[in-house]
Amino acid sequence: MTTSPLLSVRNLVVDFHTSEGVTRAVNNVSFDIPAGKTIGIVGESGSGKSVTSLAVMGLLQKPAARVPQGEILLNGQDVLKFNDDQLRRIRGNQISMIFQEPMTSLNPVFKVGEQIAEALRVHKKISKKEAWEKTLHLMNQVGIPNPSASANKYPHEMSGGQKQRVMIAMAISCDPKLLIADEPTTALDVTIQKQVLDLLFRLQQEYHMSMMFITHDLGVIGDIADDVVVMYRSNVVEKNNAKHIFTTAQHPYTKGLLACRPKLGANPKRLLTVSDFMTETGEEKPVSLAKIEVFDKETVPDKSDEVLLEVNNLITQFPIKGGFFGRTVDHFKAVSDVSFKIKKGKTLGLVGESGCGKTTLGRSILRLVEPASGSIIYGGKDITHVYAEELRLLRRKMQIIFQDPYSSLNPRMTITEILTEPLNIHNIGASKTERIDMARALVDRVGLKVAQMNRYPHEFSGGQRQRICIARALMLKPEFVVCDESVSALDVSIQAQVLNLLLDLQEEFSLTYLFISHDLSVVNFIADEVGVMYAGKIIEMDKASRIYQNPKEEYTRTLLSAIPKGEVKSSLSSLVHK
Amino acid sequence: MKTNSLWKDSFKQLARDKISLISLLIVLFYALVAILSATGIIAADWSKEVGGSNLPPSFEHFFGTDFLGRSVFIKLIRGTQIAMSVGLATSLIAIPIGVVLGAVAGYFGGWVDDLITWLYTTFSSIPNIMLLIAITMILGKGLFAVYVALGATSWVNLCRLIRGEVMKHKEREYVQAAGAIGGGHFRKLFIHILPNVTHIVIINTSLQFQVAIKSEVILSYLGLGVQGEPSWGTMIDDAKLELAKGVWWQLAGATLAMFFIVLAFNMLGDALRDSLDPKLKGK
Amino acid sequence: MTRYIIRRLLYLIPVLLGVSLIIFVLFNVVAGDPTAVLLGKNATPRQMQELREQLGLNKPLFAQYLDVVRSAFTFDFGRSWSSKQEISQMLRQGAYPSLCLTIPAFVISTVLSLVISLGVAFYRGKGIDLFVRFCCIAGMSVSALAYILFFQYFFAFKLGWFEISGFEFGFPDFVPFIALPAIIWIVLSIGPDVRFFRTVILDEIYQDYVRTARAKGLSEMHILLKHVLRNAMIPIITYVVIQIPFLILGALLLENFFSIPGLGGITLNALNSSDFPVIKAMAILSSVVYIVFSLISDILYTFADPRVKLK
Repeated sequence: MTTSPLLSVRNLVVDFHTSEGVTRAVNNVSFDIPAGKTIGIVGESGSGKSVTSLAVMGLLQKPAARVPQGEILLNGQDVLKFNDDQLRRIRGNQISMIFQEPMTSLNPVFKVGEQIAEALRVHKKISKKEAWEKTLHLMNQVGIPNPSASANKYPHEMSGGQKQRVMIAMAISCDPKLLIADEPTTALDVTIQKQVLDLLFRLQQEYHMSMMFITHDLGVIGDIADDVVVMYRSNVVEKNNAKHIFTTAQHPYTKGLLACRPKLGANPKRLLTVSDFMTETGEEKPVSLAKIEVFDKETVPDKSDEVLLEVNNLITQFPIKGGFFGRTVDHFKAVSDVSFKIKKGKTLGLVGESGCGKTTLGRSILRLVEPASGSIIYGGKDITHVYAEELRLLRRKMQIIFQDPYSSLNPRMTITEILTEPLNIHNIGASKTERIDMARALVDRVGLKVAQMNRYPHEFSGGQRQRICIARALMLKPEFVVCDESVSALDVSIQAQVLNLLLDLQEEFSLTYLFISHDLSVVNFIADEVGVMYAGKIIEMDKASRIYQNPKEEYTRTLLSAIPKGEVKSSLSSLVHK
Repeated sequence: MKTNSLWKDSFKQLARDKISLISLLIVLFYALVAILSATGIIAADWSKEVGGSNLPPSFEHFFGTDFLGRSVFIKLIRGTQIAMSVGLATSLIAIPIGVVLGAVAGYFGGWVDDLITWLYTTFSSIPNIMLLIAITMILGKGLFAVYVALGATSWVNLCRLIRGEVMKHKEREYVQAAGAIGGGHFRKLFIHILPNVTHIVIINTSLQFQVAIKSEVILSYLGLGVQGEPSWGTMIDDAKLELAKGVWWQLAGATLAMFFIVLAFNMLGDALRDSLDPKLKGK
Repeated sequence: MTRYIIRRLLYLIPVLLGVSLIIFVLFNVVAGDPTAVLLGKNATPRQMQELREQLGLNKPLFAQYLDVVRSAFTFDFGRSWSSKQEISQMLRQGAYPSLCLTIPAFVISTVLSLVISLGVAFYRGKGIDLFVRFCCIAGMSVSALAYILFFQYFFAFKLGWFEISGFEFGFPDFVPFIALPAIIWIVLSIGPDVRFFRTVILDEIYQDYVRTARAKGLSEMHILLKHVLRNAMIPIITYVVIQIPFLILGALLLENFFSIPGLGGITLNALNSSDFPVIKAMAILSSVVYIVFSLISDILYTFADPRVKLK
């Protein structure tokens, strides 16, 4: 017996017409979503997964986006043939959607309750009062505390997680048959991410909805998807039952995606990446067994016992303005009494959620932000109060790699200019050609093409830009590098490549890292020692393995349980031998 | 290897757009006319009587003659010189003041910012037209007073825009990165931030230029502008009394001459905003 | 809220002192001694000295500055040099005709511009949008003087539809006199207004929350009139309120051409007769009104935008 699926996408093609020409965003994509099931659509940014979802909603930006071919059948009716009026009647009613950015997706000038009630009023013929009561009920269902008070709040008065719950309440308000979730947890903190995922799963079951869950991270949907569609460069490369995808993936790209995410516990020396499974042209290639051998970094003897950096009772605070004339009435302690040591050649990982003070800590150590008290001792010398020339010399030894590869490069400078600037400032290298040669060597080392050095940052992808940032940090041959969420903005597949690069460079240049991240599995993979930060303090610090095997603090346990378990089911060896 | 800076990308986009290309050509043409007139190559003999009084337009005199029998067309050329010189002088006064004060206020913050904010708030509190009238009245009639008056009013907007933009860029990670590699305030402000806010100067100047031209016409009309030489404003003043007699060509000539250059700067300003403003990219 | 208003009110003090300083520097320092001009060539030194005393110009500069500051608060500007009338009296009389002209013109042009810009935002990118945009820019490129001259010549002189010039006090007697200048005002302001409103509205249309509203199944019209307009109103309120002070200043050129005895006309007469105190008074008055209205716009802003925190 066959039942027709709720939604069926058949041979869908989407082209974008710009003044530069035509780009194909979605190429001949077909998949089905049966009623009551969850489909995960996985792929890196630019793979066409979001465009596909917008096409289902009829939200493609015309006239730039065109659909020359294909059908999107909702209960057998082609959505692509609907007129505006028909589309409006299904949007928010039969198909609803939640987006990646809860911060900007709500209208800032209306109360959240009104925004939820509006969806109800449009599609259901109910009174204002009924709509408001239903709204409060919905807010209760999505776990917003004290609905009657929260409904009267404006979006900016809520946290990111709560805003996403409001979006979810809005989306399920009219009992839709299909909920599209486009990276709904990517912008959220890990612990919140977990809660939102659980909520979506629970609601999907309760409401018997179908769900189309879009993500770049296979791990996220491991627990909730029934089927998985893998997209790569506008095409569907693999679709199958989730269980099959995780245990017996067929396509090399899928295998790469599964392998590239660091796992808690056993990891190989370097992460496998998509390029280990697949050639540039998309051909499968064999993976050498040596690459998947589990590596225990704690067995590697310390090269030196020398402490490179020592931080004692560091406090960094920001003034809170208040009163009539904006006087400073109090201080907010972003970093509150933090102490630790890092040995030469080692990596200290710092994990914590946004606002815990980890970024301020990194910048205070580099003296980009002035600490209020405490001391920073670098190489045996107290650097807490060095200025001018001494501080400038210090910059040669300590460097930083920032989070956002888009804003951390000056858009009006070429790569050559960006990389030779530190040399100019410190008067290194006899001539311009010598400086360019030094830059060239490093560009090659971080895996970029030397021929592209006269290009500008906007001509590179996110991963490439992060490589440029790494090269810039290394131009001065530093000993110590702060990596501030340096891989967080990247897709998982790119993230693995950059992590491998950081490890290679550490070995080659005997670097010492302070690696800051919100992602415990990444920190666990790269760091020797891990500190957990919460509200400006380091609440727990230990060897990486001990932190995840035997966490002492409740908060650390929460962080650990928030890590998606999806991939743990698949072992690396199963990916290599099938 | 092909490579594109943001500037190149922007200008390519601009060059593809026919309207902005034509606008640019119009601006260049007016500039050329102004330079030729200023150097005395053309229109030097504008005060010469070329025919009868108030002759209507003909092939001999494109825009006819005025009541003294002088060619309206040649007077228009002379007026172009005045108008363009006012636009240029205003920009030369407004840009350095606006950029330096705005950049310093936005970058350093604190009491420097308070002081500069107070300064431009004060200037913007006096309605432009009153400040223009007051300054030209005090300094005495003439071009110099017009330059000073327009310069004094037009730096304010630029200063405010630059200040806001510099404040935004100061927090960007690329500026932090410049600090991390050992760059000082000077490098951060002038080598990193300023090139990233230059588009504001260009867009603002293009729009400010036409405001200056329009203001000059009004000030000249009020008798506060250039003395003893024809300007579009004084020509319109003359036309005021002639119109009832059916002598429309002096008004039409001055209006048309002003129309094209102001239109060109407006179009160019809009096109520059579309192509240079990174905020509008990707829409 | 009250604290915010009080803080904002206190900030008026340095700004008013600054405005007074600029006006003081211009008129009392740069301008030089006006007595020679006022008394003519045959004045004796004694007469000049007396006049200086009378005008308060023999006081030390700082005391003169305080006089300027005082006038900004008391609106006591002394007497006109040419008509010898009390200036505050003149301003009170001039305000009526000016406001009769500018308030209706301002209200109509603002509402009209808002309607037009909502319309073109709805049809953005289509022919009608391009056409309106071009008309706005082209309209703005014609000199205000040309509009006034042509409209007055054609509609009042040639066709005789309106009064050519003059003014009568009292409603509805003034209506035929202000009708044409008001129309010209509207024609002059629609261009820049529509251009600004359209930009603001389009900025909002591309925000993420509009996508959310579409995903909810709202109609484009509903989204535009509710979600977009409510957000666009925030900058629009500032833009509109900041223009109100110019209504008090009157339409300088319009009043001049149509012989309306308003504040604009008074200013231009003073300009022609080098009547410094009147110009000084107008500069101070218009600045004070500007400052007050920018305060009002800041306060309205906090009502329009819930994100603005009142500290």
